Amino acid sequence: MTHSEMDELYELYLLGALELEQSSEIAEHVRQQCPYCLARLKESSRVVDALPGLIELKQPPPELRARVLAVAAPPVKRSRSQWPAAFALACAASVALAFWGLGQQNRVEELNRQRNELRGALAILSEADTKTVSFGQAQTEPQGRVFISHNGGVVFLGNRLPELATGKTFEFWLVPAKGTPQPAGLFKTNAQGIAVNVLAKSVNPADYAAVAVSIEPIGGSPQPTSKPILIVPLA
Amino acid sequence: MHLDDKGHDALLIAQLKERDPNALSAAYDRYGTLTFSLIVRITRDSSVAEDLVQEVFLRVWNRIQDFDDTRGSLNVWVLAIARNMAIDYIRSSHSRFTAKTRPLDQTDFAPISYKANEVDNTLDNSKAVREAFTSLNPNQRKVLELAYFEGFSQSEIALRLEEPLGTVKSWMRSALARLRTAMQEGRSK
Repeated sequence: MTHSEMDELYELYLLGALELEQSSEIAEHVRQQCPYCLARLKESSRVVDALPGLIELKQPPPELRARVLAVAAPPVKRSRSQWPAAFALACAASVALAFWGLGQQNRVEELNRQRNELRGALAILSEADTKTVSFGQAQTEPQGRVFISHNGGVVFLGNRLPELATGKTFEFWLVPAKGTPQPAGLFKTNAQGIAVNVLAKSVNPADYAAVAVSIEPIGGSPQPTSKPILIVPLA
Repeated sequence: MHLDDKGHDALLIAQLKERDPNALSAAYDRYGTLTFSLIVRITRDSSVAEDLVQEVFLRVWNRIQDFDDTRGSLNVWVLAIARNMAIDYIRSSHSRFTAKTRPLDQTDFAPISYKANEVDNTLDNSKAVREAFTSLNPNQRKVLELAYFEGFSQSEIALRLEEPLGTVKSWMRSALARLRTAMQEGRSK
């Protein structure tokens, strides 16, 4: 199809009313970031995005609100080991340290950050598909676990990590089977020597061969600048 | 109901990405009624709609990190998820087009996905569309409803209405043109 032939189809594409062949052709233009198609789709979206305005509003039952909000506070599974409990303890300790160590404004922000991190981590640990990978059997090497959930994300929990020099941070990486490692968060150890990194986004374990940790300058790096101190295969 | 408040949405998105449960509460308060109404309209079943609303907001909560506000506004994203879930539900439950059912992951942002001009207000657009819709003839209204609320393609609509495909395309084209014109006139007022 030429662009002029597509002109009458963009709204239908957005509606999902086109036949597969035509729809696929426009989708391919979109995939290739075709400027003409993107501009026309943006224009066409005015009509289609307004169609929910045709709906007669119906009030949902009041109890539905509680059901929906429950998804943000999923019940925590009974732990199969002491790690989730240790993790919660580590977070609590971090919260306490943050409270005493920072100014009032920073305390609130840090507490909020810690609270959200804790909630995010617990949500991941509670996902039905969460896979657990342990690492570090020897007494002298870093030890811990990685919890990975397709729906929830990744929690890294470790101890016995090396001490960081001033101006350095740990950086967590997702390592695909092919391609370059992807940055997945910065972290430090707390006063108990426990390190936690939470990546709250959808992560398909099948897409990654391993996770890794490297030491990077404060602020992190887009790619590892040092040899990883830890590589944990996910298989 | 104000469907798209960019300033509030930006804050809400940031809070959702921080996994702040209060943000989910705010999102539900903002979009819950519309989401429920849309799903009831599509499934015609309130109890199914309750379950699907819960699934919609679970998806919003779990997938907000993937949400790209350069591709569409939050309300459009939420309603696209709701529409796709509801249409997939009725297709699945009726076993009408099993082979055509698409994975939700591929449809969260499509087909209804492109952000309108930033100066546009979805509320005004909705009002203009609603007014224009009432001025459509019954055939134009029917094809638009079958496409939007039931997810039918034009050929499926033709089969269902037992009308020639060309006729259905003509009704659809004229219906959309009328809505488009009404919205353009609404903006120029």
